[in-house]
Amino acid sequence: MGDLLAIVLSGVVTYVTRVIFLISKRLRPPQRTLRYLPLVGPAVLGAIAVPGILAPREVFSLPETIPAVVAALVTFALFRWTKQIVVGLVGGLLVWWGLLWAVAALGWA
Amino acid sequence: MSTAPPTDRERTRSAVLQGIRDAVMIVLGYIPFGLAAGAAMAQTDVGPAVSIASSPIVFAGAAQLVAIQLLDSGAGIALVVATVLIVNARHLLYSASLEPHLAGWTRGQRMAGAFLLADPVYALAITRFERAEGAGSRAEQLGYYFAAGLTCLVGWTGLTTLGVFLGGFIPGWVPLELAIPLTFLLLVLPLIKDSAGLVAAAVGGLAAFLAHGLPFGMGLLVGALVGLIAGGVVLARTAPRDPDAAPDARAEVGHG
Repeated sequence: MGDLLAIVLSGVVTYVTRVIFLISKRLRPPQRTLRYLPLVGPAVLGAIAVPGILAPREVFSLPETIPAVVAALVTFALFRWTKQIVVGLVGGLLVWWGLLWAVAALGWA
Repeated sequence: MSTAPPTDRERTRSAVLQGIRDAVMIVLGYIPFGLAAGAAMAQTDVGPAVSIASSPIVFAGAAQLVAIQLLDSGAGIALVVATVLIVNARHLLYSASLEPHLAGWTRGQRMAGAFLLADPVYALAITRFERAEGAGSRAEQLGYYFAAGLTCLVGWTGLTTLGVFLGGFIPGWVPLELAIPLTFLLLVLPLIKDSAGLVAAAVGGLAAFLAHGLPFGMGLLVGALVGLIAGGVVLARTAPRDPDAAPDARAEVGHG
């Protein structure tokens, strides 16, 4: 019962962080910060994506990082070309798997 | 031979379907993480029902994992809740960022929408609402947001449930760790519209990488804040200070 209560309360505080600026005119971010809000998306999503690309399996090393970075570049190129998320994702994963296989086959891992 | 323009109902229906399609793509990218998260939760002494319930209740993967692991280690409720609050503090930025776009929604719609405001839902919504052709009517906005949000919620809950019961069967030789970072890379690309956005994403990413070792997932929050500051410096140096030209001018619209 205690575990479930902890999860429910965790859900409540999570909801508060999501709703706090949406429920009232009085609760607003400071006026001077409003012009910077369009940067929130790039900053937060970049902070999620980049660490996972540089160290995809919690390891930052040439055999781990180079294939992931190349796969990310391929993903970027495929998305620019096709505008399809799934094409970029599948293409990037295929390239990553291929490079991981090559690294292992060459004994660089 | 000309065709009649789509009606409001048809445009809303199209937005709903687009929201579902976009969210399904995201859920596909989440398969490895969702299954792995469910499998990790199943390894603890916390009951499977509580682990599964954490998905629809908290709807934030990293925070769920941290909470379940803390409970497994015997942590008290206060510590678990405080840690989840820290891990999810970035959602404050999401609500502040979306507020100008949701100004035309009723209070009840905004309160309901906030429940779905997880990472991928924010990414889909902000991309849609800031696209060059506009966010569409309020009905289209609502249709897209709730279709995408509910699809992500159902998909995430389904994946973690599968992970709790089947996670041990995923072969270890199938590397899928890069799927989530690539998914978020694909989500951030449409949001980078100028040098300030590029700097915010790049610096935020590198800072988060350098801060990765911080406890409670704080590296992500630190990285995001550093990226915000760096992008803000570039914006302040490059963009005109015309308040009417700023996208946030929409924030002046009153709430319903």
